[in-house]
Amino acid sequence: MTSKKQDELKYVGKSVSRIDEMDKVSGAARYADDLEFGPNLLFAEIVESTQAHALIKSIDTSAAEKEEGVVRVFTGKDFPGLRFGLYMQDRYVFAQNRVRFVGEQVAAVVARCPKAAKRAAALVKVEYEPLPAVLNQMNALNSDCNLVHEKLGEYSHVPWFFPKAGTNIAHWRKVRKGDISNAFQEADFILEDTYNVPRYAHCAIEPHVATALFDHAGRITVWASSQSPYTQRHLFAECLAPLGITHKDVRVIAPYVGGGFGGKAGVTMEILAVVLATKLKGMPVKVRWSREQEFYNTYQRLGVVAKVKMGVKSDGTIVALDHKIHWDAGAYVEYGANVVNAAGLSASGPYNIPHISIDSMCIYTNLPPGGAYRGFGYSECLFGIESHIDRIARHLKIDPVEMRRKNAIRTGDILPYGSHMNPSGLVECIDKVAAEIEWGKKEMSKDPTKFIGKGFALFWKAPAMPPNASSSAFLKFNEDASMNILVSAMEIGQGFLTAMAQIAAEVLQVPPHKIRVETPDTDRNPYEWQTVASHITWGTGNAVRRAALDAKQQILEQVARVHHYLADDMYLDNEMVKCKQEPAFALPLKNFVITGLAMEDGTYRGGPIIGRGTFMPEFSSALSDPETSQGGHPNVHYTVGAAALTLEVDKETGKMRVLKAVEALDAGKVINPDMAKGQLVGGLLQGLATVLYEDMRYNESGKLLNPNFTDYKIPTCKDVPLEIVPILVEVPQPDGPFGARGIGEHTMLPAAPMIANAVHDAVGVRIVSMPVTAEKVALAILQSEANHTARGAHS
Amino acid sequence: MKVRFQLNNEKRSLDVEPNDVLFDVLRDKIGLKSPKCGCDRGDCGACSILLNGKSVRSCLVLAAEIEGANIVTVEGIGQTDLSPVQKAFLDKNAFQCGYCAPGMIIAATELLEHNKHPNAHEVREALSGNLCRCTGYTPIIEAVCQARGRKS
Amino acid sequence: MPIAHEYEYLKPTSVAEAVDILSRFENNVRCLAGGTDLIVHLKENVVRPAAVVDIKAIPELSGIKMQGNELRIGALVTFSEIIHSAEIKKHFPVLVEAAETVASVGVRNRATLVGNICSAVPSLDAAPVLLIYDAQVVVRGKNGERSISIHDWFTGPKKTSKAADELVTHVIVNKPLEKHAAAYVKLGRYRGEDLAQAGVAVMLTDNKNYRIATCALGPIAKRAPKVEAALNSHTPSKKTFEDAAKFILSEISPITDIRASKEYREHMAVVMTRRALEAAMARLLGKTVDVASILGG
Repeated sequence: MTSKKQDELKYVGKSVSRIDEMDKVSGAARYADDLEFGPNLLFAEIVESTQAHALIKSIDTSAAEKEEGVVRVFTGKDFPGLRFGLYMQDRYVFAQNRVRFVGEQVAAVVARCPKAAKRAAALVKVEYEPLPAVLNQMNALNSDCNLVHEKLGEYSHVPWFFPKAGTNIAHWRKVRKGDISNAFQEADFILEDTYNVPRYAHCAIEPHVATALFDHAGRITVWASSQSPYTQRHLFAECLAPLGITHKDVRVIAPYVGGGFGGKAGVTMEILAVVLATKLKGMPVKVRWSREQEFYNTYQRLGVVAKVKMGVKSDGTIVALDHKIHWDAGAYVEYGANVVNAAGLSASGPYNIPHISIDSMCIYTNLPPGGAYRGFGYSECLFGIESHIDRIARHLKIDPVEMRRKNAIRTGDILPYGSHMNPSGLVECIDKVAAEIEWGKKEMSKDPTKFIGKGFALFWKAPAMPPNASSSAFLKFNEDASMNILVSAMEIGQGFLTAMAQIAAEVLQVPPHKIRVETPDTDRNPYEWQTVASHITWGTGNAVRRAALDAKQQILEQVARVHHYLADDMYLDNEMVKCKQEPAFALPLKNFVITGLAMEDGTYRGGPIIGRGTFMPEFSSALSDPETSQGGHPNVHYTVGAAALTLEVDKETGKMRVLKAVEALDAGKVINPDMAKGQLVGGLLQGLATVLYEDMRYNESGKLLNPNFTDYKIPTCKDVPLEIVPILVEVPQPDGPFGARGIGEHTMLPAAPMIANAVHDAVGVRIVSMPVTAEKVALAILQSEANHTARGAHS
Repeated sequence: MKVRFQLNNEKRSLDVEPNDVLFDVLRDKIGLKSPKCGCDRGDCGACSILLNGKSVRSCLVLAAEIEGANIVTVEGIGQTDLSPVQKAFLDKNAFQCGYCAPGMIIAATELLEHNKHPNAHEVREALSGNLCRCTGYTPIIEAVCQARGRKS
Repeated sequence: MPIAHEYEYLKPTSVAEAVDILSRFENNVRCLAGGTDLIVHLKENVVRPAAVVDIKAIPELSGIKMQGNELRIGALVTFSEIIHSAEIKKHFPVLVEAAETVASVGVRNRATLVGNICSAVPSLDAAPVLLIYDAQVVVRGKNGERSISIHDWFTGPKKTSKAADELVTHVIVNKPLEKHAAAYVKLGRYRGEDLAQAGVAVMLTDNKNYRIATCALGPIAKRAPKVEAALNSHTPSKKTFEDAAKFILSEISPITDIRASKEYREHMAVVMTRRALEAAMARLLGKTVDVASILGG
């Protein structure tokens, strides 16, 4: 290692150009649906359940099979018992005589062209015998409620899940810290309320698409829009094991991803292409989700009913929290149960609370499967916690920001499950945001119908990953000392490829524009768990840094062998090896990183430099006492932050406009400021959208009513805050590459409560259910005025 | 049926079916992949192309309709050198996943073709039919505002 | 998503030829102008016509023409053409205002005003403005041409008084002779493109005549005569507007749907009528009003 200080970094911490920029502005970038497969390509159209819960009495495929261009029609009978799942194997590839949500895959028509597939799919006749459907997680808890999965007790799952067989509770995370039974007696004030959060859709603009080929040699290759090529390979291999297929026979190629946000993590529709291909040897089979399917048959963000009971001292010190979180996890929880788990562990919010009881319950319903969504359960829990803090502070006549600062978790504090808080700049974030938003300064609108309020919120989140979620990297030099880095985390827009190039560039002192990082092919690129959890800057970044250090060591050893300097005396600078003791010595890397170093006798020493790095968070463990969650170290670290906004509310129409939004988060070390700010601005708008405009609406039969952008309103460029101020704080993460930790998901976490808090500040109504739409605000104001008038009349 | 049209400065003719959608023809029969499918019903703008100089949703045009038309895709805009809009998109990191970028570039190109000095309001109006889920739009608006100052 | 349904594609070059095709296929035919509704419906199998008649090669259907106080808008005129028409901007600025609230540029470049009123969905933005201008819809069928008042045009949700074998050739809009000002206020879920949760157009003249029309507040877009009666011959004032706006509730029959509740629509109808009147009044006095901001948000 050179002894350079942090402030001397040449490439890390700089807004270098993105290495995918030419691809993306020229139209050259290839996404999964852009790949060509030749004239033998087949298209599959999926026949879906029209019922939320029903037995399949019969499927008549005869008319579909006769349609011109149809190659074959498949049903669940072709894939008997085939199940899969990331954390719990509860999910069927094709429905097996029973459907559990509207949109579940029942049959598939494979045809020579999309038109024929679509025509034939409409001819498949499915006869159902409806069963009672449960569409609400609170109803699902009733003892007389029908079960979504009778065989829950038989499903295999990770050891840190606790399903309750014979109920609809697929997992129950319990956290107990301190002594909750007596703690509320110490409190001077207790506030109890229930918060509702609906389901949300990711709305990546690129829908899911997967093409699979089972070739005549018995290999399966899958091209997919994916955040998780290796995890997909693993789940495909597990699922296909009965066919004698092993991991080496499965290859996943993942090109650019047109937006992920958690929706393309794990395995959803990709499995369909894979299993269909196994029946159609030699012919690639493409499954392409329509926007509608994108809404109802991929993961959705889970709905939440959260009961928050918080006890405080009159000075604002929080003494106790009882948080009961009921998650509407949908019909299959193979991934969603881990959202419940992760959010449950941290459902205190970023506060140091001595007495905590958290019950986070993963509940089956007959709605589409819940799963990963940017924020992984934290947004949902923070809506209640951060609304609650505001309400308590106002009740106690304490400044809400002061109350947050007083209770904010600090480095070394004890977390709900007993481990210690990592280094954190939370208080710095609070102070910077409060200053920038001019907290405490009341603003007035010139328009008499409009009122201006401010809302504040804190947030935190840890990567939610298994304790052995590992990353790895290969780094190989080219003749001109440019290099290729092979990793298997995904570029999903966040700038991952560029960040990895910057990390390697810094270690090897080669400019990032000379480094190529590509999207992966699991045959060639080394292992990566998944591109989720905001962990790859940290985890994969560590692997890349180690690969670069490995390459550097090889470089110095090679030069030492030939030039006889001590490796410790040499350093890399400007694509050259230099020596502290010998200022005149400057050996360009390109002279030897492939060719080796020439000796006087014409022989060569050394040769191709290939670095290798892996990273495993070896201190992490998910094992703990199931009744308290004490004893393990489930989370590697938290990224924290604070945010505030100024909101103008029209008191008659309920219409809201964000005049200014400020968000600060502690990135540990910012690898690329421009890209980090891009994450912050984009994520904040995604968060604001969940609170102001979006929600998934189901009818009483469990059918989604708004599976399109016509009625699921994601923001346009007219709907952005008038001003956004991103603030990046840097309290280094000791085990992060150059001190970095992830920020991707965190940027959207504070949006909902800060809107709710600002609405209250502006017009005095408290909304406890998301979304906080103009309609809801206007009607709440009308209601509050009516109540006021009624009270006046009675007094 | 046969249609004759101009595509990215080249005369083309092609056999199409009455129910072929232009978007599918451009991608699957011609091989131009810059128009992207995001919604299939005109809500997202990712499939935008220039049809006789105007941005349209290629998912809402029949291939049969393009007889005699002049069509430009992003591949045509940057054929020799990046256009001022594309350069500004580079400078401002006006993309993340990049999937909406072709449609955004088409919309911005049309705007600047007809209005050399649009104000921020006009830029928003021109781009508001193009959905982006990553960037929060700020850098995209900045890029188009920067591009308006450049000569093409 | 492909169109799986198969049909004949026909491209007549005259109205007579088009009308002939329409009558030949009876109800089993659809006209294609901008296609922004039709192609979605074809993809989603909402319609399955035997023929699609592309009317874009009929020269007679094109163009915007102002003659005296009469504006003629051809069936092929897109919302973008309306927005960029200097004549419409000058004489019917509220028509531009309404056109600007329809979808987005990439759709407006193809979608036509006539296609919009033929769809006859309750939320259509063009309707309230055409209603306050007492527009005429001109159709041609086998029996020749007839002119239908816009007030008789909408007969139900997605239903018009046009016969299946008739083709709309153009719409006529008349400019009132007296000095007047108008405003179209649209309620959407956000500033970006949205279908109207509610829409209100108003016009007032300097001799105290008022015209009010709504969309998305009942099965069809329509005028609100009771509000007009409460206003007519009254000197404009905040108080007059506030009192009269309440009458809108007796003119509308909103429902609860995915876009808004009945309760919110009723509340907003009153607020929007009042604010639209205030905006039009301000305009009559020569002030500039940004209607996009009129409801806040």
